[in-house]
Amino acid sequence: MELLRPSSLDELAAVEPGRGAFLAGGTELVPLLRDGLVETETLVDVAGLVPAGIEGTRIGAGATLAAVEADARVPDALREACRLAASPQLRAMGSIGGNLLQATRCWYWRLGYRQCRLHGGDRCLAADGEHREHAVVANDFCASAHPSDVAAALVALGATVCTTRRDLPVRDLYRLPTEEDRRTTTLEPGELLLVLDVPPADASVYLKAMDRKRWSFPLVGVAAVRRGDETTVALAGVAPVPWLDDGSLDAATPLPGTAYKLELARVLVERALAKLG
Amino acid sequence: MARLIRSEKEVEGRVEEVWLVVDEDALDQWPAGPRTVVGRPTARQDAYARARGEARFTADLHFPGMLHAAVLRSPFARARVVRLDLAPALAAPGVRAAVGPGEAPGLSRECEHQGAAVAAVCADTFQQARAALARVEVTWEELEPLLDPDEAVARGSLLEEPRRRERGSLERGLAEADVVVEATYRTQTVLHNALETHQTICRVEGDVLEVYTSTQYVWGVRARVASALGLPPDKVRVVCEYMGGGFGAKNGPDDATFVAAVLARRTGRPVRCMLTRREEMVAAGNRNATIQRLVAGARSDGTLTALGGEYVNAVGASGWNAMIEGPMLMLYECPNVRTTTYGAKLNLPPARAFRAPGFVEGTFGLECLLDELAARLELDPLELRRRNHADREPGGGKPYSSKELAECYRRAEPHWARRDEVRARSTATVKRGVGLASQVWFGGGGPPSYAWIRVGSDARATVVTAMQDVGTGTKTTMAMVAAEELGIPVEHVTVAVGDSLRGPYATLSAGSSTTSSIAPAVRAAAADAKRQILDMARDRYGEDVAELDLAELLSLLGDAQILGTGSRGPNPAGMTVLTFGVQVAEVAVDVETGEVTVERIAAIHDVGRVINPLGASSQVEGGIVQGIGHTLSEERLVDPRLGQVLTTTLDAYRMPTIADVPEIVTELVDAPDPQLGNLGAKGIGEPPIIPVAAAIANAIRDATGADVRSLPITREEMLRALAEARERTRGAAAAV
Repeated sequence: MELLRPSSLDELAAVEPGRGAFLAGGTELVPLLRDGLVETETLVDVAGLVPAGIEGTRIGAGATLAAVEADARVPDALREACRLAASPQLRAMGSIGGNLLQATRCWYWRLGYRQCRLHGGDRCLAADGEHREHAVVANDFCASAHPSDVAAALVALGATVCTTRRDLPVRDLYRLPTEEDRRTTTLEPGELLLVLDVPPADASVYLKAMDRKRWSFPLVGVAAVRRGDETTVALAGVAPVPWLDDGSLDAATPLPGTAYKLELARVLVERALAKLG
Repeated sequence: MARLIRSEKEVEGRVEEVWLVVDEDALDQWPAGPRTVVGRPTARQDAYARARGEARFTADLHFPGMLHAAVLRSPFARARVVRLDLAPALAAPGVRAAVGPGEAPGLSRECEHQGAAVAAVCADTFQQARAALARVEVTWEELEPLLDPDEAVARGSLLEEPRRRERGSLERGLAEADVVVEATYRTQTVLHNALETHQTICRVEGDVLEVYTSTQYVWGVRARVASALGLPPDKVRVVCEYMGGGFGAKNGPDDATFVAAVLARRTGRPVRCMLTRREEMVAAGNRNATIQRLVAGARSDGTLTALGGEYVNAVGASGWNAMIEGPMLMLYECPNVRTTTYGAKLNLPPARAFRAPGFVEGTFGLECLLDELAARLELDPLELRRRNHADREPGGGKPYSSKELAECYRRAEPHWARRDEVRARSTATVKRGVGLASQVWFGGGGPPSYAWIRVGSDARATVVTAMQDVGTGTKTTMAMVAAEELGIPVEHVTVAVGDSLRGPYATLSAGSSTTSSIAPAVRAAAADAKRQILDMARDRYGEDVAELDLAELLSLLGDAQILGTGSRGPNPAGMTVLTFGVQVAEVAVDVETGEVTVERIAAIHDVGRVINPLGASSQVEGGIVQGIGHTLSEERLVDPRLGQVLTTTLDAYRMPTIADVPEIVTELVDAPDPQLGNLGAKGIGEPPIIPVAAAIANAIRDATGADVRSLPITREEMLRALAEARERTRGAAAAV
């Protein structure tokens, strides 16, 4: 395996788009490589290229979750989403940019079942299989649940992300997979996340239900943000992508084994809104 | 003086009668209570070695020229290998040898579960071996798997004839009852997940096959490897110096052991076969799921008149139909009991013993049922248990060698009395409650086990016994017993274990029997050495030697060393040796989110004499933490159509983290069993995990009124039970 270490973004731009996989903290990529879910002969080390500092509302995509969690200037919902994610060891390694791009924990996908639609197959094995951790909304094509606490917080905060090619709302980083296009992000080959811009809020919270007290992906995570009289809510663990709650949960289509998630989501949303004051 | 006796030998409920060589056990027990060394909290002798990474586990061993094996396993729950070609794998870079079905024990074409071993290759590196596996050409014939335990019972797919146990008449007992409760309980499949995965290195030295392995039974591996390979047992040397946990999954050799052995003999080079975590999650054993359809009847004063159980053990493709009915048969004085246990044979990975196999599952059902009965009777759950205390084996059986369960109940009172205060700390959304559950288990150990001790003029001793310390700290226990007998500091005793070439036979570390089986042999060996020293000293000092300091007497030895030998004496005839206990759990339940938090567990256990209170309390803590995982978060999930395991990593299979661990209060009765050998000590490895699930479930019921009858108590199970309880309350209100 080959490791490229471009010393500048210009050098990176010279690397053929889509050649190799970007490596930052490695907490997601290394297990995926080991399980054969990412197949590449080339790793591109971007740890030295992606900004990692936190300045005002701008958070380098290379900042570790541990650094974001510890910075008092960062809105509470995002700090709390970091604190409740993974373990201290993983948060010390994993970058916030990498966290946004992590793949689903759906076991059928993680175990490489070729029939899985996210692997290009023609069915969702979870829908009529084992699916207690899966989606309750937008789950008809693929029932996977998006695992990122941080993404839900950033979507609720209305954050934008600056990549090597464009600026876009974090929300638009994600797309629901379709028959024609199975991807869950809108990133183009070779496009790299650089900086997040997280506008301040009057109040924000993140609440999370998980299977144990720490080191679990969310069964349901709820981020709520208030600016003046306006509140925004986004959820993790309920759809194949981070989910902005614009009343769509009322039209949810839970699977037999995920109905409890809807109950959890309703309670956590209610509690989160109450906490916003 | 050695003699041959006929004795009952019991391991985890399996009893056999055997002839055994034992010495007279003429030593009087020490008086109860802490002694100079025994009974005082003592840190592990190898704690620093473990913490510093100096302890050599099997994975730390590297031999020149060592090869690495990888095992081809069935991806299917049920399949037959129609065609297999190892040639492409043999041609792959670094590959030195390969074995296929029939060439090593455990390798087969007929795969009755996912993870069944088919073939193996060894190469210069593990990566090469893995890469070569992908090149093995296999044609599978996939077959329809049988996955549902009730369906297996209905179709007669059983490991053995249904096991029936009966005393009195269940029907009569139910007819005599004022109150009858019936309920169905379910427990899930959980995985051992010892920190150290199953692994073995084999190498051939001259005509001896050396087996370095992570095992709970050095001598069992020696016997079975020798027999499988047709070697005389003394040509197999088994070494297990340090071990990173087993919990019952390492009671004997398995496919990795045999693969390493066969490939080492074939290549003439050392071969390591180490399971990955993902293999461990599939192919290394589990605590099987159960279905328990139970009934209990009692008079209005709480006297049990009837207990009945139809149990289904979802054992898997092979394994052992564990004694899930044990608690129902053994815990209470009830004249009418009938149990039937089915061992369902399924196309799922085989169950293996797992810390109190059967009793963990059976106690969950029985002790929850008892609390449901107590609620119907409007009787205090602790009082209900007291009223049905068995003073001897239920049904007029044998007397107990000792039983301090009543004392456990007495000591539980202050913890039980906290429930008003605990409940009072409930809020609108977080309800608190307290629950308890009792426990019965084996743990008396038995012969045979042997120990040697070597004492020199420096007044330092080495205990030699080819037992294994599976990570419990039992080496330190042995050192304490020897130090106490010899009257020397425990730091002056070294314990050498884990080498079948260099020590005498010692039993397997299972059934909470290591301390109770081996420590008496160590004491006997120390006493034998002391006797020899005193005899010699009499030649020099006359008859008053017993008054003199041992160090002074030993100085006579010069370069000579005294060798003492000892064996485990027989168990008391005509008596039943058991351990008992009770745990009191405090929980908080968020009734809107279904989040369960265990806030405190008080564990009160009777295991006879406690040799090392520090080691014992860490066993209690470990058992409770593992029990909390079993109760709340752990579950091996399989695809219901394919029978393939879905939870193959430690993020998907959820063991408790330190944040899930409550305050744990340990109290040990510490009353030596007067009938049990020269120490009166029983084992504590398994008892602490047994009552955890029921105590927590009963606390949840106390807090919320919800009946949780299915493990694990996840958010969905808790929310379901809460909704059911609300429905019931509404129904009751409507009826009024």
